[in-house]
Amino acid sequence: MGENGQITSGMYFSGRNLIMTAIGIVIVLFCTLAPSAESVFTKFPKAWTIDLATPLGDFLKFLARKAEIGPFKFSQITRGFGALISQPYEGLKGVVATGFTLYHEEGGKSVIPPMAWTAVTAVFTIVAHHFGDRKLAIGTFATFMFFVVFGIWENAMLTLTLVTVSVLFATFIGLLLGLWGYKSQRINRALQPVYDIMQTLPLFSYLVPMILFFGFGPIASLIATIVFALPPMARVTTQSLQEVHTSVKEFGVMSGCSNRQMNWQVLIPAARKSLLLGVNQVIMLALSVVVISSLIGAGGLGGDVLKALKSLRIGDAVVAGVAVTLMAIVLDRISYAIAMRRPIHWDIAPTWMQRNWLLVKVLLALVGFTGLSFLVPALQLWPDAWVVQAGKSANQMISWISNNFHEQLSGFRDLFIIYLLKPVKLFLTGLPWIGVIAFFGTLGYLLDGWKLALLGIVIFLLIAVGGYWTKAMISLYLVVVSVVFATFIGLLLGILGAVNKPARVFLIAAVDTLQTMPMFVYLIPVVMLFSIGDFPAFVAIVLYAVTPAIRYTISALDRVKPSLIEGGLMSGCSGWQLMTQIKLPLGLPTMLMGLNQVIMLAFGMLVITALVGTRGLEEITLVAIARVQAGDGLLAGLAIAGMAIVFDRYVRAASAIAAYRMGVPNPNKGV
Amino acid sequence: MSSSATPETVLNCIDLWKVFGEGGAKAIAELGPDAPEGAFKERGLIVGARNVNVHVNRGEIFVVMGLSGSGKSTLVRCMTRLHEPTAGQLIVLGQDVTNLSRKELVDIRRNRLSMVFQDFALLPHLTVMGNVAFPLKVQGVDRKTREVKAKEMIDLVGLTGRENYFPDELSGGQQQRVGIARSLTTQPEVWFLDEPFSALDPLIRHDMQLEFLRIQKMLNKSIVFITHDFEEAVRLADRIAIMKNGSVIQQGPPEELVLNPADDYVKEFTKSIPKQKVLRVSAIMGPVDKGALSDVPIKASETVDTVVAQVLMSDGVLAVTDDDNTVVGSIHRRDLVPVIT
Repeated sequence: MGENGQITSGMYFSGRNLIMTAIGIVIVLFCTLAPSAESVFTKFPKAWTIDLATPLGDFLKFLARKAEIGPFKFSQITRGFGALISQPYEGLKGVVATGFTLYHEEGGKSVIPPMAWTAVTAVFTIVAHHFGDRKLAIGTFATFMFFVVFGIWENAMLTLTLVTVSVLFATFIGLLLGLWGYKSQRINRALQPVYDIMQTLPLFSYLVPMILFFGFGPIASLIATIVFALPPMARVTTQSLQEVHTSVKEFGVMSGCSNRQMNWQVLIPAARKSLLLGVNQVIMLALSVVVISSLIGAGGLGGDVLKALKSLRIGDAVVAGVAVTLMAIVLDRISYAIAMRRPIHWDIAPTWMQRNWLLVKVLLALVGFTGLSFLVPALQLWPDAWVVQAGKSANQMISWISNNFHEQLSGFRDLFIIYLLKPVKLFLTGLPWIGVIAFFGTLGYLLDGWKLALLGIVIFLLIAVGGYWTKAMISLYLVVVSVVFATFIGLLLGILGAVNKPARVFLIAAVDTLQTMPMFVYLIPVVMLFSIGDFPAFVAIVLYAVTPAIRYTISALDRVKPSLIEGGLMSGCSGWQLMTQIKLPLGLPTMLMGLNQVIMLAFGMLVITALVGTRGLEEITLVAIARVQAGDGLLAGLAIAGMAIVFDRYVRAASAIAAYRMGVPNPNKGV
Repeated sequence: MSSSATPETVLNCIDLWKVFGEGGAKAIAELGPDAPEGAFKERGLIVGARNVNVHVNRGEIFVVMGLSGSGKSTLVRCMTRLHEPTAGQLIVLGQDVTNLSRKELVDIRRNRLSMVFQDFALLPHLTVMGNVAFPLKVQGVDRKTREVKAKEMIDLVGLTGRENYFPDELSGGQQQRVGIARSLTTQPEVWFLDEPFSALDPLIRHDMQLEFLRIQKMLNKSIVFITHDFEEAVRLADRIAIMKNGSVIQQGPPEELVLNPADDYVKEFTKSIPKQKVLRVSAIMGPVDKGALSDVPIKASETVDTVVAQVLMSDGVLAVTDDDNTVVGSIHRRDLVPVIT
């Protein structure tokens, strides 16, 4: 059954291919070249657009303020949900970050201080050592020392709190949704497009309705984070439950498990490794988002970055950015170590102490350091006098760089702007809208038939009708340029990594680090070097999106069957021939999946680059936050999501065709 | 030919069908039992098991043998109702299983049936002890009781001392011993083994087969054993059913299959099996001969290969006795000729 689908998707390029492609090209050329300068087909007429933003915004406001569902006001429900999340958040925040302040009736107040920094550091170091190795423990210790020495302890703990709470909720809700999707095919099919939109909808678009429903502040940003980080968990859950061996499920049935026993004692434990890797993903995503959502008042390290960026105190932004990156690496490695841990047996029955050794160590550290901090206050709160003011000296260093290298840097920038960015921008924004739609329609038809063509046409038409055409083309231009560039660089580096051992080790380490860096952090160095505008945005997008291109190229070339390579060698292929005639063509389907990732990441970063002054749809989503224009923000966001989904489907279809033609398994399967 | 269902029958499949796809039952009713595969395919249906009639007697090892895609796994899953049979009747331990409620089904699975899987299907997060005790845990048996019982089974399969190991610390053979122990903790009456040794190396496979026979000798379960290996089937079976394209094409004791294969398909399998390993002396012996030598009598129930040397070395006719040492026949070396050539 699966094979039939594959064959039809390939047919459009095999059977009628020449005629259809030729007709397609003619249509596209006609639509692009024929319209004269003033025709309604070049510029989408204003009269044809429909203002959807105002009614949508009004509707959301109505929901937030007045709507009633049964006896409750809608706002009561949302505020109730907010309260549910704020309890653990406030509690944890008090414990690790801010302490508690109690106000007495007679007017005085007493303060319970937060947990000693030594205690928190010790606990994380112990956990890192327990699950990982000495290196991880040292890295963890150094990270927490960084927070304290540079005087950003409280904000770091605030970010940690936000991450913890959102991860807990996102994991739990994602697990339940995933389980639901696993139990019912129909539910699963219904949820997939919802997840697609949730994941591709720009973060900024989430934030405005969140402000409407939950008010400005950490709760709104927590909920936005939860919503954003939840789909991957739900997807991983459904997929990893499906991947549990049939026989294990049958064993559960044959043992007479009840539904609940089946879920919690057989399926979820059997899939625990993939599930924990899912949690790892959730953590990384949550951290990335928590930092950005400081835009709506979450505070924490993200707030530091944002404030510093806004006032161009780049040095301070660098310190906070490094802190965020370090936290990301530590959380990633610890959660990965926990996921990959193999259970080891005890030869003799373990004592209670042995079985709970981690707990004992953690409790001892907590009690010990808390106790000590009463004697030595410096163990409780790092004295202000000891804080290293790195921000200032970093600021100076950066102004020195920009003073001395200004010419080189701006020359480099102008080169790109004049010869690459500007021309592409002018070309794309100058295209007649009818031509662009014809192009996507034809391409969709050639790749996978009418359904895909219709998807492309409808989405771009909606963008035009919504009045976002020009902005959309500006977004598209930045994405296209960055994707082409990132793919090109990634392909070259990937091939280098595949043939050269030392290069490979270096590249993989670099890719790992780049991938753990939260999106927001990318903006710091590019702003530092190139100030604001399209070029720094382009650099940030390329840096962020190049990682899957490298990774997928290496793994695609690695995965070519050894017997085929041996066959090539025995037929006397040179190294070059082996690469161009065997490895690259056979790796193509996987590399196309990499391209898909590149495009998705580029769209993800594009949204954030609004902060450095890009002018496409992403700008609308950002401006909407400040002006609380929920309608505009959401629609512009949906337009970006729509374009991302079109690209995703097109590249997937291309990958399926490539796989079919190369006779290798379709890499789309199981994704 | 084959023995028919008796009061001692613990499992009986009557006209059992499994057709995958929508509208299977309707198609069977309309097309009839002899409709070709293609007729089902035209309706988008795939026949897993076709009109199967087999039964399993108490204490017997019933082997279902077939190549991949022959429907043997489908059949065993229908017998346990892991797959819902499309048509026909299935009587297990006197109950019509096709009509059981979910609760009754859970009950019979918990207490009277159990299954061993080809890829072991061990739970990776539990120790050997945890895995073996799991079926009892599901029933709500308290920890102490279930661990005592589990320990017995672990000892029975020879894994003493490995109670605290995790599955991925064990070799394939050891893992399947855990699977066997686990399937026996609930003291089931009908024991299903779905290609239990197929994933193991040939040497270990042979060990496990002997181990399996040893355990069966002690426990005397009623067994449905699935395999794709005809030699394994012959070695273990009291009776064999051979499947092809979802149908059972022949069933009977091993020697019957070897001596009278129903068609060329079955013959193809039997060709590679040395007849002397399957045939018992009783199948080739002559009538009682007064002059036969009886100082070292030959047992009628032995397979021929175990007595070849003795018979060949002797010039005369040898006496054959049953298990009670009563003379029941005679054998001469010329009787061996059709068997070993």
